[in-house]
Amino acid sequence: MKHPNPETLALHAGGDLGAMAGWRTRRHLARCAECREEVARFEQFRQLLPSLDDSQDVHWGRLAAEMKANIRLGLAAGECVRAEDPAGAGPIWSFARVGVALASVAALLAMGVVLDRPAPTVARETGVVVQATADGVQVREGGQSMGLMHSGTSRDAVTYQVGAQGSVEARYVDSETGYVTVNKVDVE
Amino acid sequence: MSNKGQIALLALLGAGAALAQDVPLEGRVSINLGKDSPVALVGMSTGDSHSSSRGAALVLDLHMALTLRNTGSSRIHGVALRVVSQEVTVGGKGSVSIPSLNIGPGESFPVRIDMQLMRPTQVAGGPLVDVNLDGVLFEDLSCAGQDRLNSCRTLTAWDLEAQRDREHFKRILAQAGPNGLRQAMLESIGRQSARPQLDVRVTRAPAVTSAAFGPVHAEQFAFLDFPDSPLQPSKGSAQIAGNEAREPHIEVLNRSARAIKYVELGWLVSDPSGQQYMAASLPASDPALYLPAGKTAIVEQDTALRFTRRGQPVNIQGAVGFVSRVQFADGKLWVPSRADLERGSLVKVLPASAEEQRLNDLYLKRGLDALVQELKKY
Repeated sequence: MKHPNPETLALHAGGDLGAMAGWRTRRHLARCAECREEVARFEQFRQLLPSLDDSQDVHWGRLAAEMKANIRLGLAAGECVRAEDPAGAGPIWSFARVGVALASVAALLAMGVVLDRPAPTVARETGVVVQATADGVQVREGGQSMGLMHSGTSRDAVTYQVGAQGSVEARYVDSETGYVTVNKVDVE
Repeated sequence: MSNKGQIALLALLGAGAALAQDVPLEGRVSINLGKDSPVALVGMSTGDSHSSSRGAALVLDLHMALTLRNTGSSRIHGVALRVVSQEVTVGGKGSVSIPSLNIGPGESFPVRIDMQLMRPTQVAGGPLVDVNLDGVLFEDLSCAGQDRLNSCRTLTAWDLEAQRDREHFKRILAQAGPNGLRQAMLESIGRQSARPQLDVRVTRAPAVTSAAFGPVHAEQFAFLDFPDSPLQPSKGSAQIAGNEAREPHIEVLNRSARAIKYVELGWLVSDPSGQQYMAASLPASDPALYLPAGKTAIVEQDTALRFTRRGQPVNIQGAVGFVSRVQFADGKLWVPSRADLERGSLVKVLPASAEEQRLNDLYLKRGLDALVQELKKY
């Protein structure tokens, strides 16, 4: 599976991706736990950053005014140098133009159909997760984990019990010792 | 790339792989049984423990076999070991408990600990894993150990359940003979294999619920009230959205004449077809709970539980609560009777006790005569 690059995941975490790229990324995240964790990390990091928005060193109002003035200047200069529109001399409905217009409409319709399909939603989890795995019980946070395994015992022979406070226990008869063994993981 | 460059790259990759594999496990596990411990470590093996690299992470598979000896003067009925990996998952911990023991003074018994740790490749010094003795329960229900995980309470509750279930099967043996006991064992084994289990994932931090789970609604609990229970659950609800349930809270009344310091409820859920499942136990969140006679308290947790079965989400449509464990202020414990469990068909939904599981296994592996002899020991 090809993963989106970190820049794309960071933009997705901030809600800054375009519609198409956002859709592609959401589709990928629905299938990829690794990238979901990466996005969760970016989101956590973003929560640490708001103080930077209040930076006193950047004068946003002045910057915006300067940008607007530059845009107006560019538009005025464009008007000065604009030649007479040559298109007015040719036939309005040439084959090439009709073709381009139809292709654009078709692309627009296709895009609409694609975007209208229900995109897979992504359930994001942060914090500590406790769960049963293929052959044990595990507590994990981010990329680290600790699990107690019931090696050599089939999953069907294991009784799982969950504690709503954040614990999972696996109870089984150890095939080597013959004793009932209870493995439990939980969070503090 | 030049030959020299290729050789350098291969050497680098080889060295990386070798470093990732080269994590000595000797000395990385610390066993601490404490001063004046009633058990002594008489053997330890790390068997085929090994490490392997997985991307930027290091995976450690630890397979330990400990041999402990009862150095006290009472029979041991249960042991709990606390297993902590401080470097992995802040606050993450585990325990390995052996209930239903019957170890005489001077006798030894094995404890296996199979662990998997995943951590960054940067290996720091010191033990990766600390194993501490958290609780040892004796025949007279006295208990020793650090008890940081409340192991004494858990081991005692398991022992009360063990006494209850042994009595149940001994009564059947006395009333219906070996054939009656065989029938009861087969029914018990059949119940356990037919009992539906859900896969439940518990998230401690507030999860971001997506629209995929559907609208959230407060599901009111229905209750099974056991006549002999010191607690009466009165009202409660949980927030349900699709296959996710969160923030369960239940009000309970202490209708006994004694103060209570610990409460644990059982929580059943139903799917759209009406099939009931054991969802979770719901212990009181307040470690300093003190509930005088005649007073009420709220039992609640702020976690989110997500239910699946065979990889598919199971939508939740009903919630039933019942009192499953109570500890009085004087330390005595109450657990439901066998009659309580058989009332309301709870016995079909709840897992068998550790002792019933052990007796089932004994019957399957060693037959009816061995089971009868085992019951006669108590």
